Parts: sequence; C-alpha cells; structure tokens
Amino acid sequence: MGNIGHLADGFASALTPMNLMFACLGVLLGTAVGVLPGIGPAMTVALLLPVTYNVDAASAFIMFAGIYYGGMYGGSTTSILLNTPGESSSVVTAIEGNKMAKAGRAAQALATAAIGSFIAGAIGTALLALFAPTIATQAVKLGDPSYLAIMVLALVAVTAVLGSSKLRGFISLFLGLAIGLVGIDSVTGQSRLTFGIPLLSDGIDIVVVAVAIFAIGEALWVAAHLRRRPQEIVPVGRPWMGREDWRRSWKPWLRGTAYGFPFGAVPAGGAELPTFLSYVTERRLTKHPEEFGKGAIEGVAGPEAANNASAAGTLVPMLSLGLPTNATAAVMLAAMVGYGIDPGPTLFTSQSDLIWTLIASLFIGNLLLLVLNLPLAPVWARLLRTPRPYLYAGILFFASLGALAVNLQWFDLALLLVFGLLGLMMRRFGLPVLPLIIGVILGPRVESAMRKSLQLSSGDWSGLVSEPVAKIVYALIVLGAVGLLVVGRLRRPTTQEVTS
Amino acid sequence: MTIVVGYVTGAPGEAAVEQALVEARRTGARLVVVNGTRGDAYVDTRFSQGADVDRLRSHLEASGVQHEVRQPLGPDVADLILDAAEEVGADLIVVGLRRRTPVGKLILGSTAQRVLLDAACPVLAVKP
Amino acid sequence: MSADPNEDTNEVRPGVRARGATEGMSADPREVTSGATAAASPPARERDLSQLLLIGILAVLGVVVAVDASRLRNDFAKLDPVGPKAFPYAVAAALLVLAALLAVSVLRGSVPEAEEGEDIDLTQRADWTTVAKLVGVFVFLIATVNVLGWAISGALFFAGCSLTLGSRTWLRDLAIGTALSVATFYAFYSGLGVPLPAGILDGIL
Repeated sequence: MGNIGHLADGFASALTPMNLMFACLGVLLGTAVGVLPGIGPAMTVALLLPVTYNVDAASAFIMFAGIYYGGMYGGSTTSILLNTPGESSSVVTAIEGNKMAKAGRAAQALATAAIGSFIAGAIGTALLALFAPTIATQAVKLGDPSYLAIMVLALVAVTAVLGSSKLRGFISLFLGLAIGLVGIDSVTGQSRLTFGIPLLSDGIDIVVVAVAIFAIGEALWVAAHLRRRPQEIVPVGRPWMGREDWRRSWKPWLRGTAYGFPFGAVPAGGAELPTFLSYVTERRLTKHPEEFGKGAIEGVAGPEAANNASAAGTLVPMLSLGLPTNATAAVMLAAMVGYGIDPGPTLFTSQSDLIWTLIASLFIGNLLLLVLNLPLAPVWARLLRTPRPYLYAGILFFASLGALAVNLQWFDLALLLVFGLLGLMMRRFGLPVLPLIIGVILGPRVESAMRKSLQLSSGDWSGLVSEPVAKIVYALIVLGAVGLLVVGRLRRPTTQEVTS
Repeated sequence: MTIVVGYVTGAPGEAAVEQALVEARRTGARLVVVNGTRGDAYVDTRFSQGADVDRLRSHLEASGVQHEVRQPLGPDVADLILDAAEEVGADLIVVGLRRRTPVGKLILGSTAQRVLLDAACPVLAVKP
Repeated sequence: MSADPNEDTNEVRPGVRARGATEGMSADPREVTSGATAAASPPARERDLSQLLLIGILAVLGVVVAVDASRLRNDFAKLDPVGPKAFPYAVAAALLVLAALLAVSVLRGSVPEAEEGEDIDLTQRADWTTVAKLVGVFVFLIATVNVLGWAISGALFFAGCSLTLGSRTWLRDLAIGTALSVATFYAFYSGLGVPLPAGILDGIL
C-alpha cells in the first residue's frame, strides 16, 4: 500500500502556504464563475492557462482543482436561488431547490447542497485515490492497439451519449479532429493544413482553441441573445440546517454519491443521468412524498451529491488513462500538455508527485469550499448584480489576453476570433462544444496510436485488434451503439415527465 | 390629480409608497407606482418580482387608493420615472432616498438626484 | 419648478403600458421554468435553411483537408505503413459524409437546438448587429495591438466591448479598461515573465 504514503506526501506538498493560497484562490474563483451567468469552470481554467508559463505545475493544478469543484458549487447556488440551471447537471437540483428557496428555506437548500457536495466530493476523491492508480498500473501494460481502442471508445461515447443530436455531435468531433491535424506531422516532418504559414507549423495552440470556443463563442452568443429582464432571485442569509434536515439529508447524500461516482468514471456517463436517477430514487424512498414538487430537501441533497461524486469520478479516466470526459477535465489536460507532461497511462509513474499533490489538493479544496462558502453565500448572490456589459467585456478582455500571451503574436488573436466565430456558429446550429475540444486534444494521439499499431503489424489492418483488450473495447462500442438506440427511445419521455 | 411614486424593493421604496399613500388620501389623488429596471444585470434586487410585487399590490389594494403599478424597462431608471410622470401628467413625484457614501455618490449617478433635478413637477424625497 | 408648462395639456391615458409591462413581468419567470420542456419538444417550425452555411463549411473543409493530404509523401513506408495521409483522408471523408447527412436531415426539417444558457433569451430574435460590432472591436484590437501596445489597445477593447453591449458610461468604461490593461500588463511582465506588446508606450511602462 504505497499509495497511502504517496497521498501523505501529496498532502505535505499541497499544504505549503503558497499552495494553500492557490487552493483558496481556485475555490473562490471557481465558485464565483459558477455563480456568474455565461462563464463556467471550463472557460475559467481556459482563461487561466497563461499562468502555466510561470507557475509551477503543482500550484496551477491545485488552483484548477479548486475551480473544478468550486464551479459545481456555484452552479448549484444559482439553480437554487434563481431556478436557472446553468448546466444540465444542475437541472434536477433546481426542481426542488428553487421550490425550497421560494418557500423560505433557501438557507437549508444551500446548506444541504454544500454539505452533500462536500461529502460526495470527499468520498469520490477517496475512491479516485483508490482506483485511479490501480487502473493506471494496468493501463501501462496496454499496447497501442488497446489504447487506441480505449480512446476511440471515449471519443464515440462522449459524442454519442451526451447531447441531443448524435449527427451534430459527430460533426463537432470531426471539426475538432480536423483542427488537431494542423501542424507538422511528427513522423515524416511534413506540414499539414498550415497553408504555408510558419506560425501554424507547431499546430494550433490548444489554449487558443479552448479559449475561443468556450469564452469568445459564448460571449458572442450571449451578445446575440441577451436576456433583458432581470431574473427573480430569492434573498438568502447564511445557510444552515436543523436536526430534521440533517436526518432527511444524510441518506440521499450517500445514495447520490453511489450513483454519481461510477457514472462519472465511465467515459460519457456524465452527471445528467446520475442526478436524475438520484432524484427519482429519493422521490420513491422519501417519507414525505407530499413535499416533492413543493421543495423536498431529499430532492436537493441526492442530486447535488450525485453531481459532485460524478465530478470526482470523471478524474479517474483523466488521471489514469489521460482521457478527459468533460469540458473542464479536457482543458486541464490541455494545461498538462502545456507543461510538457504527456497525459496518458504513464502519468502515475512519471508524474507521481504532481498527481498525488493534485489528489490531496482535491480533498483540501473540497473542505475549503465548505468552510469558505457557507458564510459567503450572500456575497455570491450579490455577484449576480454585475452589469452584463462589464461581465462579457471582461470575458472578451481576458480571453484576448490569454491568446495574446501564448506567442505574443497578433496572429493568435486572429485565430482566436476565427475560432470564436466557429464557437458562435456551433451554438447557433446546436453543435455540442465538448466533442470538438476532446477531438482536438485526442486527435493527434489517436493518429499516433493508430500508426504505431499498424507499424507493429506492418500495415495489416488486423493489427488494430491484435490485443484482447482492443477486441473487447471494440465489441463494447458496437454493443453500446445498439444499446444507445434502445435507451435513447426509453429515456427521453421520462426526463420530460419530471422536468415538466 | 396624480402622484407618481418611484418604487424600489427595500426600505426607501417602502417609505416612498407610504408617504405617497398619505398624500393620496389627503388629496384624493391617483397613484402611479413606477418600478423600473435597467435590465442590464442578471439580477436587479431593486426590481420587484414574485412575492414582493404581490405584497406591494395587496398593500395598495388594502389602502383603497386608486392605483396602478408599472414596471418599465429602460436604460435609465430616472428617465423611466420622469417619462411616466410626463405621460400621466403627474402633480407630484415621490422618491425614496438611499444612504450613500461620498464615494458612492461620485461613482454612481443617483436616480433620486436626477428625478429631483429634471422633474417638471414638485418632488417629494423621503428618507426611510 | 412648480410652474409646469405641460400641466394644461395633460390627459390621463388608460394604463395600456402598465398592463403590457405587467404581462411581460409575469410571463418571464414562467418562461424560465418552462425552458427545459420547451427545448425537449422542438416547436414545429419551418425548415431552417441557414444551416446550409454549416453544410457548406463542412464540405469545403472536407475538400481542403483531402486536397492538403493528397500532396503529402510517405517517405518511410516501410517504417510507417499508414503514413501521414490516412488519418487526414479519414477525417476528410467523415466531414463530407457528415455534410451530406446533415443536408438530408436539414431538408427533412431537422431544426438545430440552439444552446440555452443562464443569460440567454432564445425567445427574442437574434441580435446580429451587436455581434458584428463586437467583431469589429475585435478586429480593431488585432490591428492595433502591436502598434499601440496592450495597455492602450486592451483598454479601448474593454471599453468598446462594454459600450457595444449596452453600457452608457463611456468614461467609467474607459477607466476600468485602462486599470485592467495596465494591471494585467504589469502582472504578466513581472508575475509571469511574459512581456506583452508595449507599443508606443515602450519605455514609459
């Protein structure tokens, strides 16, 4: 059990004053952006990628981890106080949470969400520390064909399962793969899709793509559809819970965690389904069925825990295999690439210190969230009064700053605008953003794994399925595709029934 | 006779409505309550919604004074009040005053101040 | 102040505006709560032919990727049987197939599910003028950042964006923009060791 020792070392390096400061910063920033409309954790991490030039990797990832967990917390705050879930994962929280708030129980709703998130986050992170190294030790033994198969599974799963239109998901994915092609081919040294522009020979910097798609695309899209009427907000004091609330919350927290973590850990499980399942379960098991639909605390406690546990679960494939399955994880992976770290199954062996510090900082960030945010809830509610012109001008400003800092070339700003317009177009035409980002990041690795696999078999296509794991994974993809058609038909009507 | 009240959620707004009701009962005037918003932020706590606007309406209803509540949207809240006053031919405008720090006065233009300066009829400013 | 020139011409109009305003008021919160359901069942609308733009982009991109790949050589065919062409060809083929599939589904009446968000009101018509103006401000930044430097261009960029987005206090916007751009200039210079372009202020900053 060397892992306990590793984790202890991780805590030791995460608890230095400098790193604690970065953790606090990340948690506060993450919550703020989670609360603010139009800006989320993925965009924030993308905007902060320039810090990777001069801040050491551990500190940067400690901050990113804080933003990741904090964003989720902030998102639940707005869905409770305003009934406008920013992300699909907090839709379910809003159902009961906003009803509670309107019934004068905002403080309890926020408290059960915060404490539930803390418990789910703590358990989830512990499970992450338990599973990820084990998976990683298995994964390093995998050859290129198997690794290729797993990446293909992740790409297909993220594209097909999340989002409403599979066709549009795949369009987004292949746009991403095409962007990933730009640059010099590593094997033959020829440039691809550079159009003779030397600045493109290193490829398009992922910082520029991520910032453009998330920040510029979103800001332009919001500018086109600015909401003019203010939202109705429920005033809130300091969150707290009574004994009865605790009694009714603790089981939903644990059940929600049990739903969320496995869904997060498998590629494309996402947070939407486990939060929904948790809600349905709590509604079935509750002793107060009459309160459901009018503000039942179980309906907030369970889904919130599921949401956070799924966030922790998402880090399992990310840290053990280098597979990002949500937007924030994808941008964090881009940051790793920025540090020259090769994200993949070797992470746990080659970057052991960094990874364990990151895991330790997840525990710390989770605790900080609870300690800092319970008293700060009214402050976060005030943040919503920021005038929109400043909010979006600020987003555009920092996005340009981030892109400019990459190479100090105006050319990157031009790319930023081009991809920003692409992001705008994607939002207009209902193309999901995540497959594109993951396509850009995984595309080059998929290609290189494919070429290496076929190198081993000297060009024989059967080389792709030369390993048992690869065979199993491809079988899974086929099974999944068939299963998806069936589930897709069954799932929609039920979701509709609950949200209406 | 018509009285326009610049209403905001919170103590200054309540004070303005109370004072306007006193004036309305004394003179038999009709009340036009204007609760405007710039609508440029995600949340405007001075814009009355939900339970708060219901409470305002039932309070006005209970007072027995002839009244009307307007919630216009425009770039300048002071203009919204002044426009309403001009439109209904107000004989009096009642506004509530907020406590302001000197710095606050410098950075943010006060709605009440603009109404005081630009109104074409007498303005009654009330402190909560 | 007491002499009101408009006093005689007053006419009390019925609360048409008021009713309109209150309707708008009560409709809005509901629209928020019903947002999820409205999205789940897309309204029966006309075919959205603006999607042809997307189809065109996909098709052009597919062709460009394929043409670009066709001029690559595989010098190390022994070592690397796949070569640098295969993957771009696969991507190009997929883009073309997806463009065709999208064309079919658009003609059959597939309507895009535009992305929703906390700050997005899809019930209104899209305001493309604001977007075009923002793009203009962005182009200004790209054109001037090397000449004027980040401190000046960035400040103007912030002020330009916020004015475009509906702010009316240009002096305050400019002040905030300047504060942000100068602060970030120094933060990047001394904190991150990244010298942002100083432009005409070179030597002063």
